[in-house]
Amino acid sequence: MTQLARHHLRAAVAVAAAVLTAAPALAADYPSRTVEVIHQYGPGGGTDRFIRAIAEPMQEATGQSFVPISIAGGGGVPAYVTFLQRPANGYTLVSLSPDDVINHALGRIDLTQVLPLVRIQYDQGLLLVSKDSELKSLDDVLAAEAASPGGLKVGVTGSAGFDDALIGLFNEKAGTELATVPFGAAEMVSNTLGGHLDMMYEEYGPTRGLIESGDLIPLVLFSDERLAELPDVPTAKELGYDVTLGRWRGFGIKPDTDAAELETLVSLFRDAAADEGYKKVEAESALQYRSEFMGPEEFQTFLDKEIETYSQIMNQLGY
Amino acid sequence: MLDAFVSAAGYMVGNPMSFLLIIFSVVWGIVFGAVPGLTGIVGVALLIPFTFAFDPTEGMLLLGGVYVGSTFGGSISAILFNTPGSPEAACTSLDGYPMAKRGEAGKALGIALAASAVGGIFGTLVLMFAAPPLARLALEFGPAEYFALAVLGITAIASIGGGSLIKGLIAGLLGLAVALIGLDPLTGVARFTFGNMMLLTGVSFIAAIIGIFALAEVLQRFADGPPKGEQMAQVSTQLPSLAEFLATKVTLLRSSVIGTVIGALPGVGATTAAFISYSEAFRWSKRPELFGKGSPEGIAAPEAGNNSAVGGSMIPLLALGIPGSATTAVMIGGLTIHGIVPGPMLMQNNSDLVYSVFIGMLLANVLMLVFGLRAARLFAVVLKAPYQLVGPAIVVLCMTGVFALNNNVSDVAVMLVFGGVGFFLKSYGLPVASFIIGLVLGPIAEVSLRQGLILADYDMMALVTRPIAGTLLLLSALSLVYGIWGKLRRPPSDGPGNAQPEAS
Repeated sequence: MTQLARHHLRAAVAVAAAVLTAAPALAADYPSRTVEVIHQYGPGGGTDRFIRAIAEPMQEATGQSFVPISIAGGGGVPAYVTFLQRPANGYTLVSLSPDDVINHALGRIDLTQVLPLVRIQYDQGLLLVSKDSELKSLDDVLAAEAASPGGLKVGVTGSAGFDDALIGLFNEKAGTELATVPFGAAEMVSNTLGGHLDMMYEEYGPTRGLIESGDLIPLVLFSDERLAELPDVPTAKELGYDVTLGRWRGFGIKPDTDAAELETLVSLFRDAAADEGYKKVEAESALQYRSEFMGPEEFQTFLDKEIETYSQIMNQLGY
Repeated sequence: MLDAFVSAAGYMVGNPMSFLLIIFSVVWGIVFGAVPGLTGIVGVALLIPFTFAFDPTEGMLLLGGVYVGSTFGGSISAILFNTPGSPEAACTSLDGYPMAKRGEAGKALGIALAASAVGGIFGTLVLMFAAPPLARLALEFGPAEYFALAVLGITAIASIGGGSLIKGLIAGLLGLAVALIGLDPLTGVARFTFGNMMLLTGVSFIAAIIGIFALAEVLQRFADGPPKGEQMAQVSTQLPSLAEFLATKVTLLRSSVIGTVIGALPGVGATTAAFISYSEAFRWSKRPELFGKGSPEGIAAPEAGNNSAVGGSMIPLLALGIPGSATTAVMIGGLTIHGIVPGPMLMQNNSDLVYSVFIGMLLANVLMLVFGLRAARLFAVVLKAPYQLVGPAIVVLCMTGVFALNNNVSDVAVMLVFGGVGFFLKSYGLPVASFIIGLVLGPIAEVSLRQGLILADYDMMALVTRPIAGTLLLLSALSLVYGIWGKLRRPPSDGPGNAQPEAS
């Protein structure tokens, strides 16, 4: 049994080696083995896919694998704690997102223990309804809420996380009382399509297929400008509700990592983010508009500002 | 549809590579399913980078084959070593291992293999011919229906232990209690974690079952001392005779239907399908007293259930673009990397791909029969070694497997603790089946009940008056009453004090 497994492993390693040795090595001795990227979301989700996509050009450049390690659940705390337990040797990264900022704001984790390395993606979300819904526009939503406050239920993923913060902020600005109900990403979609939920909040990438087929109708976009892919969907901002929060994705590393290795990593990420293949993946989810590459200093400034923003929002929401 | 089918078949015939890929992926899947801790999800995730080298259709054939192979593979180690290689095989241990211990390992593996193939082919056929209507049916399932489904499974805990009502309830409620550990899924409050950050994710299910089944069995065997004449050396994997196979036909059909429908529901997959199939097989069985002691139905039900859930969980993936299980969620990632947008348009825009996957999955199920026999023989060689060597090897393999799952030492700790829990359950005659059912279905019942209540503005009646949910709940209530009535009428033989009405 173990023999068979070992046989397969060896075959896989051989194939991998054949594929990878073709590329020139960028750094002399770093990375010399697999780099692990710990994240708090499920395998196959947005962040997992993002890591796999950005890893492609990096693997080509270095000949080493960058693999996502999913430690899902627990509101993201176990993933972060696992990261903190790893040595500062440059072979463990952690994914960072607004969920981590919120955990920091709520005192569940301490973000000063991580060095923000690079920020790569900046997504934008939508409020979506089923095609059978009576809600056809944000006005309908506001009218329904005015008639019976708290009557509309919005599906979100995660509890007391980014989605809750965004809906809470919208409630604050629009004077509504939309109630959030946490679901797994797939159940949220099926419950919206099946009419069990009134609305759902999700980014463009995962819902694109259902938007194109007309099964899900986006009502409003949370961003500064409309998406070229959805020219008829208004932004909340233009309707008078200044909610432009978006989910961004970046990476952090242990602060006492070797400086030369940090340099190498940042430049690897910079090249990977500009890679044609990766750009294509990004464009498929309409991620190219707000995504702007940030190195350690910029990202730190950005992160500090985000911490301020979310601390204030979570405070207002009564957390 | 016929055009698409013929065109896809043409693609496959004109592309011999695709057959090689299916063979490779089924074998790869069986190995990943059978080795504890590797699991089908890991098998699929590891292959995703390799799909870049192929076109999307070949890539999907590869992933689909692994999914099919791994779902069966888990049953090999579950039956031979009481070590479920993957969560969906946990249920197969319950009757597979006792049968193997009797010296009928070959028959147990044969039943598992045949049931897997029947379930797998059933699920794939439904996927081919009825995906859109079944996807619509799945959309009818809101939180209230998920809750009712979980309750239906949970009502079996009292009776499934094969004897004592109270012992079944104790074990089942313990399982439900353990399922509460972790972050509250709706409000994000920590429960029973005692300040331990790693417990926030809850008890890792795979670590827990490996502990309860494999580790506890090793402890038990060493506690019992040298075996008294129980021999498993004879492990040729003969398929069950036609008569034996036909004896389970009702169970196979029922489990295949249950598995396909549960597979089609987003968020629940093969593991839930296996357990609900098992408890329904028990409920309707003419010989329920054999369950847990090596009943052929007890092997056929979970294996037909979890393999038909494979086809089932592809239904929402292909019809709606949303994953029906954790493994299909990884497959969606693989599709999008190839630039294919999963969604309702997939069947129209990429019909070649979709129909090739159908044909591929059918082929994979047939190949599974061929390679399953070989793989089982290979694994069974280990049984010829003395248990003093096999036992420690199982422990080492479980520890490394559980660690490799997330590179996480705390999962290993969970496994060790649950080894103790399993030993404790066995020592006191508490049925492991009830405990595991509580552990699997408890979280589904809890989360969906609370979601459903929020959606209904906390109106309990609104939940139970929904047609599907109401029917399922009524069935649960009736079967509970019937079960208890049955117990009262013919008290089981294994001890006094079993038939106490207040235990309901």
